[in-house]
Amino acid sequence: MSSRTTESATERWDRNRGIIRTRKGAWRPGDTVYSHGHDLLRGLVGHVTFFQNLILNVTGRLPEKRLADWLEATFICMSWPDARIWCNQIGALGGTAGVSPVGAVGAGILAADSRMYGPGTVRSSTRFIQEALRLTRSGWPTERIVREKAVRGRRVVAVGYSRPLAPADERIVAMQRVATDLGFSNGPHLELAYEIEALLWDWYNESINLAGYIMAFLSDQGLGIEEIYRLYATCVNGGIHACYAEAADGGHDTFLPLRCTDVEYTGAPERPVPERGSVR
Amino acid sequence: MARRIDPQVRRRRETFAERPRTRLWCEVPSADNPYVAERALCHGYDLEALAGRVAFDEMVWLLLSGELPTPPQRELFGTLLTALANPGPRHPATRGVMAAAVSKADPVHLLPIGLSLLGGTHVGAAEVAHAMTFLQRHRGRDADETAAECHAAPYAEDAPAPGFGTRYAAADPIAARLASRLAALEAGGEALAWGEGFAAALAPAGQGWRPTGVAAAALLDLGLPPRCGPGVFQLAAAAGLLAHGAEMTGQPTTAMPLPDEEHHVIEDD
Repeated sequence: MSSRTTESATERWDRNRGIIRTRKGAWRPGDTVYSHGHDLLRGLVGHVTFFQNLILNVTGRLPEKRLADWLEATFICMSWPDARIWCNQIGALGGTAGVSPVGAVGAGILAADSRMYGPGTVRSSTRFIQEALRLTRSGWPTERIVREKAVRGRRVVAVGYSRPLAPADERIVAMQRVATDLGFSNGPHLELAYEIEALLWDWYNESINLAGYIMAFLSDQGLGIEEIYRLYATCVNGGIHACYAEAADGGHDTFLPLRCTDVEYTGAPERPVPERGSVR
Repeated sequence: MARRIDPQVRRRRETFAERPRTRLWCEVPSADNPYVAERALCHGYDLEALAGRVAFDEMVWLLLSGELPTPPQRELFGTLLTALANPGPRHPATRGVMAAAVSKADPVHLLPIGLSLLGGTHVGAAEVAHAMTFLQRHRGRDADETAAECHAAPYAEDAPAPGFGTRYAAADPIAARLASRLAALEAGGEALAWGEGFAAALAPAGQGWRPTGVAAAALLDLGLPPRCGPGVFQLAAAAGLLAHGAEMTGQPTTAMPLPDEEHHVIEDD
């Protein structure tokens, strides 16, 4: 791409100088609030659920209620009060340090943007199952997908399978029940995800995890990778709130307090500070 | 087809550390309260002895590397930190801090807001990490050949490779001059030198260094790993973000633009 700073080169920015062009919505004082073509105050408030509105804001599409209810159930599964879980622990540390709930919960949410768990796994796990289905449709047997795409050596590398702390995930059973109760049937991504799981369990004793289930299910619903990542940006907030509240109410420094010797020092022995200039 | 297995959930048999370990910092407990630190050591140096004898940039280097910087290291590191100290009032990170400040956000949140918005893949900390990895992989290769490959498979619309490309459709002259200056320093090494060649190979397309690439190359030449790059970039810029926030805090809400309805247009799909 040529990047000469001609008038035409800067036109794309000049067009938006001082002006917001949106397909999302706006407040019109004295009139109403518009959201994706809906009158928010008359057409959405009291008529749709919080999670329907969340999906509308992220995707621009107002979903049927059962999909929003399913999403809400996954949020409950993604976050529970256990202060050992890393993002929750950060919320609790914020509580014990007198941080505001906004600061502490925000910090915990950032922590879960992780390669290991939480919303940080969305892109890679969605890519895996969507690519796996593409390969299946091009003729790859599931065994080959597992051997060539899901494991390296004897380690399961496919994000969406295996899980920190435990090789299996009890939340799958709960979410499968919710999906069935809501009238959803398994689509091709989820069917393949379960086929892959069965092989991984036989060969490596590792199962699908909640992220793998969610990404397969939502791929079957036609959502894209970035849409799913955006939907789940704050999904761990519930457990962080709980752990923050307990620690904040418990008093300063009372959450997992450390004596000086509770941190093991493995560094250099004590040494004198050089006089200014002596290291130069 | 239903799920084929119903595995029993058991916790893995992993052994976790009984206590955290660090080679950075030692806190010596006081005699009468094991929670109170009587003294603190940083990589073996007494904190109170360090204060007043070493400057902040030297302290940062000590924390990251374990040793006080040599004069050439300090020259390169300090020059880089100074050059990166303010992303400027048009960078989205700074604008975010200014918007938060003028809308009376709690001042303790100003830096976290700014540093989060400085974490992006577009002229942000994430690009620094990607650029360090790119430079590690490609330095030593032919710069022209690499440039041709990158143009065929660009990192982003405006960046053939992380840390290189354009800003607003033009090469960044400040970043280019900074790179040349750093490359000429004694501690400037292979990454800055290769980056200079790569930027020259991109020049016919009107592209060159971005500040993220300069930071990445300098930090590699200083021996820091990619996992440190984003944080150093954010640390340096924190000063400018803080200053812009402090300037805007206390000013009326009207001190920043807020487009009226005529300039907030709802467009159809």
